[in-house]
Amino acid sequence: MATALKQFSVALAGKGVLTAAGLGLSPLQRAVAANTGNLQRRDCLIGKTLQSVIGGFVADEITAQLRAADPANRASRPFLFAAAAAEQAVADSGRILGAIPAARRGFVLSTTKANIDVFDQLAAGQPVPLAAQRQIQPAFLATDLAVRFDCRGPLQCVSAACVSGLLALQQGAACIRRGRADAVLVVGVDVISNFVLSGFNTLKSLDPEGCRPFDLGRVGLSLGEGAAAIVLVRRELAPAPRLLLTGCGTSNDANHLTGPSRDGAGLALAIRRALAASCAAPEDIDYLNAHGTGTPYNDNMEALAFRTVFGDHIPPFSGTKGITGHTLGGAGVIETTLCAATLESRLLPGTPRLRERDPVAPESLLETARPAAKLKRILKVNCGFGGTNAALIIEREQP
Amino acid sequence: MNGEFSILAASWLGPEGYGNDLTGLRDWPTSLAEQLQRGDLNGLHWSLLSDSDPSRFLRMDLMCRLGFMAVELLDAGFDTMSDVRREHTGVCIESFTGSLDTDIRFALTPRPSIFTYTLPSTVIGEICIRFRLKGPVLSLVPTAPGGGDGPAEAIDWLQRGEAENVLCLSIEAMNRSTANSLPLPPELSAAGWHAAALLLGPEENPSRAQPLTAGPLADIAASRVRAPCRNALAISNRQKIQCG
Repeated sequence: MATALKQFSVALAGKGVLTAAGLGLSPLQRAVAANTGNLQRRDCLIGKTLQSVIGGFVADEITAQLRAADPANRASRPFLFAAAAAEQAVADSGRILGAIPAARRGFVLSTTKANIDVFDQLAAGQPVPLAAQRQIQPAFLATDLAVRFDCRGPLQCVSAACVSGLLALQQGAACIRRGRADAVLVVGVDVISNFVLSGFNTLKSLDPEGCRPFDLGRVGLSLGEGAAAIVLVRRELAPAPRLLLTGCGTSNDANHLTGPSRDGAGLALAIRRALAASCAAPEDIDYLNAHGTGTPYNDNMEALAFRTVFGDHIPPFSGTKGITGHTLGGAGVIETTLCAATLESRLLPGTPRLRERDPVAPESLLETARPAAKLKRILKVNCGFGGTNAALIIEREQP
Repeated sequence: MNGEFSILAASWLGPEGYGNDLTGLRDWPTSLAEQLQRGDLNGLHWSLLSDSDPSRFLRMDLMCRLGFMAVELLDAGFDTMSDVRREHTGVCIESFTGSLDTDIRFALTPRPSIFTYTLPSTVIGEICIRFRLKGPVLSLVPTAPGGGDGPAEAIDWLQRGEAENVLCLSIEAMNRSTANSLPLPPELSAAGWHAAALLLGPEENPSRAQPLTAGPLADIAASRVRAPCRNALAISNRQKIQCG
């Protein structure tokens, strides 16, 4: 295996995040350390009815703060959220990104519904700025963000349900590997909207008490909103010690449109592909960040997939959507940002909001955060509607 | 564009007609042609292409119906593929309009059966379920109708051995009546409709395989369909692509 080539050798040079925990990585890490869920109850329109919903909402004061920087009130919420996360990631990358010519800086966006809010605004007869109207189309949102951050190289927009974020990171890394760019700003974003709440409400997928991933009493998910951004660069451009994205694997269950396969075979296939792409063996994974939506079927399926790949040696794993809610197109980038921070802090996240572990969940489930004895490589997985699965591996480069 | 991998099959359907790289472009039935040309797609029906069970097709949204029809039109021998080959057949979709047509319908009538289709990647699930494909997947939103990076992504998968075959689709699905129901940005309301499919992979049947040229996927597929294989009749239906 030592001589095999990894799929990617791309460094994570900067990261930024906006979630229900707050703006920036620090509040997210504090929530991880305290193992506190950040879900809140709010009255939201679902269809035409005001209903009480628990979700991972971005705090109103943060949204107001971001709005204040846009006095013309022209930007959509997804644009504001994505730009806020991207600004942090660019700043976190120090001088690396600025030293790369704009034509060699690519941009990849992950989103499922972009500015879907525009439906309600138009239906209510509200004036909607043209820029915000156009951002209902995901690639237009991507273009506006790429312009905002002066990324004039390759541009892509991924919309593949809940695996969008991991696919966007894969695409960003592939762009660098093929020599089309020296750096790629990868951003994932989605907002809680009447549209999405109505959809998951009609599917009866929302847990009225808030999501409880891998809990015996779990009954559904909680939606979340937010954004994250990761600056990917050619390995040589990042200073040591580096965090590297080494491989990604995807698959389709070919089973059901909205439900996961019952045997976890599709996710297991994606994990094996990611391991092979990273020239890694199952025992090389030191921590696994699960999709962990809190729906009974998803969490059962994941447990089976983990057993299929790792046998009796499932690495410590947890589900962190109790902090952020399920941010859909934002999830993959947000959770990979959390994993990158974990590689740096060496504090493995727990599973906030867990009350009683479902015996179906492997015993290596982390109920609370704990320091890692050994932490080199992390596996991140997501699964989505349409039977899509994605797995991505990041690692801390050894000196 | 790439000498190692070829177009193994191509199909296209749009206002002008439908067909594949063997049959060439066929006209829509006279009763449908006018409405399809003006973008009224409610008359598109499975029976135009297949006499198999339409029940699943009838549940689908417009985007999935178009994608499903394009893959059926390919006549690429998926039904006789080995399980191993299916596990290594990837699907890459590109759509500028995405699920917007269905999004608008869901906003007007929120029903779970519609919500399932409010993602541009749902069509990947439908196709993978139909043909039991389990390879890598990707769903891209290009900045203009017709596709962008899809074929290049497919070639990358093939070159790296991540897939043995890749099904690439470009689908634009905006019913004229839906587009008129909201003040959409002009690029979206004018995007029109089509579904184009290419099966890419290592050349196995020189009589049908064609080199992959540069350009948007929809244009590549349309040109293959407008200029079908000259010796198409010599290719027997089940030998078009050696499977397994």
